[in-house]
Amino acid sequence: MKKKKLNITRAAVGALAILCFLCLWFWATREGTPLGRLMPNPAQVFLRLVETTHTKVGPLTIWGHMLNSLRRVLVGFCIASGSGILLGLAMGWNRTIEALLRPIFELLRPIPPLAWISLAIVWFGLGEGGKYFIIFVSGFSNVTINVYTGAKAVDPELIGAAKMLGCSDRRIFTSIVIPSSVPYIFTGLQIAISSSWAAVVAAEMVRSTNGIGWMITAGQGIGDMEQIMVGIIVIGVVGFLLSTFMRGVESKLCAWSRVQDS
Amino acid sequence: MANEYKVQVNHLTKRFGDLLVLDDISFNVKENEFLCIVGPTGCGKTTFLNSLSKLYDITAGEILINGEPVDLKRHNIAYIFQEYSNMPWLTIRQNVEFGLRIKKLPEAEIRERSDYFLDMVGLTKFQDYYPRQLSASMLQRAAIARAFAVKPEVLLMDEPYGQLDIELRFKLEDELIRLWREVGTTVIFITHNIEEAVYLSGRILVLTNKPTKIKAEIPNDLPRPRDIADPNFVALRNQVTELIKWW
Ligand SMILES: Nc1ncnc2c1ncn2[C@@H]1O[C@H](COP(=O)(O)OP(=O)(O)O)[C@@H](O)[C@H]1O
Ligand SMILES: [Mg+2]
Repeated sequence: MKKKKLNITRAAVGALAILCFLCLWFWATREGTPLGRLMPNPAQVFLRLVETTHTKVGPLTIWGHMLNSLRRVLVGFCIASGSGILLGLAMGWNRTIEALLRPIFELLRPIPPLAWISLAIVWFGLGEGGKYFIIFVSGFSNVTINVYTGAKAVDPELIGAAKMLGCSDRRIFTSIVIPSSVPYIFTGLQIAISSSWAAVVAAEMVRSTNGIGWMITAGQGIGDMEQIMVGIIVIGVVGFLLSTFMRGVESKLCAWSRVQDS
Repeated sequence: MANEYKVQVNHLTKRFGDLLVLDDISFNVKENEFLCIVGPTGCGKTTFLNSLSKLYDITAGEILINGEPVDLKRHNIAYIFQEYSNMPWLTIRQNVEFGLRIKKLPEAEIRERSDYFLDMVGLTKFQDYYPRQLSASMLQRAAIARAFAVKPEVLLMDEPYGQLDIELRFKLEDELIRLWREVGTTVIFITHNIEEAVYLSGRILVLTNKPTKIKAEIPNDLPRPRDIADPNFVALRNQVTELIKWW
């Protein structure tokens, strides 16, 4: 009951903040200001957004662009998650693998996704492969490092208790290490889905003909500020929805690690 | 002859690098005995249990169960740690059932035993809660239910009630004695609380400071149920207290 009230208050404050921001935007881009000459106001952007839901921008409507971007992000993200979880668990569990791969991983980790663009083109060409790769790179290390931390942070007493019961090493891995890493895995996935989605603009800079990132880059090419703004807003909103969705999945699967808070 | 004792500790020595912790310790524990070990903090009580349970390798000597070297796959040992290690992602019932599943008991038996022991420690109503939702004493009881559920031949307990308040400790001590008598198992119980040792044990081992040896072995034949105000109880408690004055 109390919690519900709190949520409503929080939502109201959030809505108010967005409203203030819109007012500020209106005011800053009003007739006659320097900024007003360069930038559309929120109403223009909104109308353009509505228009793009049924009129094509380039080859597709906004829905088509969104789906293409989402597909790229999901493919890259799934590959990043799968391999990140495997590598993280392996490094956390096996000392040899850790000694072997950790230094390489630490070297590659700080390289920003943008820096990989040229290599991505050389390795995977100008088609979808290169785009998947850029998105993969932007999610992979986030997942890996979190899962690795989780696998390392397993309570040694739990492992002891399992050993005492006669658990094999394999059973300890599946019954203790993996479940206790789940919250860390989700932290990794959460960060990764956001950064993967954010990387879609960079990925679609690699010669593409559709996608939200393309809309922005193309808008820049023809000086269409409204199109750029529509793209930016869609990226913001979809990114928000993706991370909300991930958080929902997490709170379902990791109920045990949060029950204290409720 | 070899099987006369449940647990035999022969010339057990344990070093951590240069630090000699357990120095040539030998003692035996009889079947169904309740042995309490008291000793100063840092003398190696936990180290001893970890050695017995194979979490640590020992430097020299041997530990036998039923006259054979300890083998966790064959010997049924339960260990209640100082911190009650429940799996946070499993409910209380699933925690109690965990060991039974590892030991691949039939499903019906698993249900029956966990029902029984959850009831025994008064957690039936809380069986579907996660560990984080329960208090320290409930978690400790869950740990006890989990340990007893596997019907261990040897039950190791490492200062299990150290962090509980007195009232709860008394309650859980009585519960433990009741379970021990009903189920029948060999218990090695570590504590630094002398009153607790006198209350629970059939025999008390007093350890010295590091490098640790056995300072004294005191049989405890006080009739049960025991009364901490009984003159015999007080006398025994004072005797043990006297022994550890020089820690
Ligand atoms: N894994 C370990 N590595 C190094 N030293 C240890 C380790 N475990 C315990 N010790 C040392 O052994 C001594 C005994 O520790 P412990 O068995 O925990 O004592 P107690 O349980 O009696 O308080 C302490 O001095 C402690 O520092
Ligand atoms: Mg200890």
